[in-house]
Amino acid sequence: MANKSPNSVIAADDVHKSYGDVKAVKNFSFMLESATCLGFLGPNGAGKTTMMNLVYGRSQRDVRPPSTLRVFGYDPAQSELEIKYLSGVVPQENNLDVELNVRRNLLIYSKFYGIRRAEADSRIDTLLDFMELSDKKKAKIKELSGGMKRRLIIARALLNNPRLLILDEPTTGLDPQVRHLIWNKIRQLKSNGTTILLTTHYMEEAFQIADWIIIMNQGEKVLEGNPKKLLEEHMEKYVLEVSNKNSFGLIEKAATKKIRKDRSSESMLLYNSDQGVLKGLSDRLNPGDYFLRETNLEDLFLKLTGRELNEE
Amino acid sequence: MKSKTTIVKPPIHMRLYSVWYRHMRVYTKNLVANGLPPFLEPLIFLVAIGLGLGRYITEMKGMPYLPFLATGILVTTAMFTASFECTYGTFIRLEFDKAYDGMISAPITVKDLFVGEILWAGTKGLFFSLSVLSIVSAFGILSIKTCAVAPAVGFLTGAMFSAVSLLITSFVRDINQFNFYFTGFLSPMFFFSGVVFSLDTLPKPMQWVAEVFPLTHSVRVVRAVCFREFSRIHLYDLSYIVLVTLLCAFFAIRRLRGRLVA
Repeated sequence: MANKSPNSVIAADDVHKSYGDVKAVKNFSFMLESATCLGFLGPNGAGKTTMMNLVYGRSQRDVRPPSTLRVFGYDPAQSELEIKYLSGVVPQENNLDVELNVRRNLLIYSKFYGIRRAEADSRIDTLLDFMELSDKKKAKIKELSGGMKRRLIIARALLNNPRLLILDEPTTGLDPQVRHLIWNKIRQLKSNGTTILLTTHYMEEAFQIADWIIIMNQGEKVLEGNPKKLLEEHMEKYVLEVSNKNSFGLIEKAATKKIRKDRSSESMLLYNSDQGVLKGLSDRLNPGDYFLRETNLEDLFLKLTGRELNEE
Repeated sequence: MKSKTTIVKPPIHMRLYSVWYRHMRVYTKNLVANGLPPFLEPLIFLVAIGLGLGRYITEMKGMPYLPFLATGILVTTAMFTASFECTYGTFIRLEFDKAYDGMISAPITVKDLFVGEILWAGTKGLFFSLSVLSIVSAFGILSIKTCAVAPAVGFLTGAMFSAVSLLITSFVRDINQFNFYFTGFLSPMFFFSGVVFSLDTLPKPMQWVAEVFPLTHSVRVVRAVCFREFSRIHLYDLSYIVLVTLLCAFFAIRRLRGRLVA
């Protein structure tokens, strides 16, 4: 990505953030172009949410070493109000006012942006329609399903026509129908010129909507690029998953050096771009003990961030 | 890099109003459950005291006892409602409902958030004082006309105790810890701030302690307002209230900012 771009919405250069001795984000730099979608990918605790919070002033980056962070040209350390006025935020955890109905929830937020009542009313109707919630206008929050709550929070983030939409794991825990609906809406927003910053640990989500992804691990950038290209450049095309432990020895002997092997206690993964080679190996196994498939972003992710759990 | 976009962000009074409006909307959603107790509470109190204790005590410091007590209740009710709002209420919004997370994602600063909340708690104090006043005046104990300014003291008392409570909340990590604040601070204050009996019967050292209690100053001001007896000490009381409010609010906001914007 170009270092200086006239269209950048966010420009971060060498950003650090620590909590006590814990370094949550380390020398992190990135650029987000207008009307594109950037996805932060990484395991839990990788620093995705922290970096996102730094962008809208929810968190303050370290003063030392010196760094730059500009959002619409504003420094979040000084101009949080301006940035928040131009942005919409969908937090990781739902935080609707359960005492109020759907419409009231949005009305309360329209006041935070100083939107006049008449304008707010029509904006709310438009947004409920856009998020396919029109028939739930008077519903109580408790009556909404998980997917509806999430859509309502996205509608809430869109109240002020944000130029930057910040989505922290927008579809975690939702069923496939809702996820696809939300992805469609995000694509629609993007084509209308909204810039999108996304965190996710769903590889498919990143693949579906992000133009550019940054894979993070332990607060650092591991790899970045266009998701499809990254996969092409960094991964073999196919993988053979072997699940029967008794066959591990047999396969290990049979596999040539050209086949990349990744063995854990429970499974063995063999990567190669030639499907025939892997097919030949699989012929030695009982059906049901293996699975031959195309590699995906998740394989790349695991390759980069390791198979161990990232929990403390 | 793109030049800064000129934008019309909401001015401070709009931001404070929007926070106040949010709390008002959530509170009035359950109007019966939230709005009835302030009327019932003084009623129960007056029946119990008026029919029970009031038969034995008719006078306090040369003042008829029931009006003496009723004026005190005008501010204690504000104290309790504001304290509940900014301890349990604030803690739940902070830790369980994550309501603040959403609000400060909108163009609202942490300072707006808590100043708005203090104004809201003051409003609740005003409303609770007014409810008590309307009940006691219906029974002819106080006159709503002569005591018309008393709800304003309810506002100041509510604002002061919300600031004190926010400071307490900023230290609290477990919601059960509020028990200490209520039984260890607010309850004793109710009895030793001149609400139920006049302080000058207490031993000197206890009187000094009572002078430190914020409620003592509210009680003196509200009596002055209701009985139209002003002296220089009430200016001191008012300054004390304003100072406690500002100091507690300042440190509370600073500490809560540390918890919200880390």
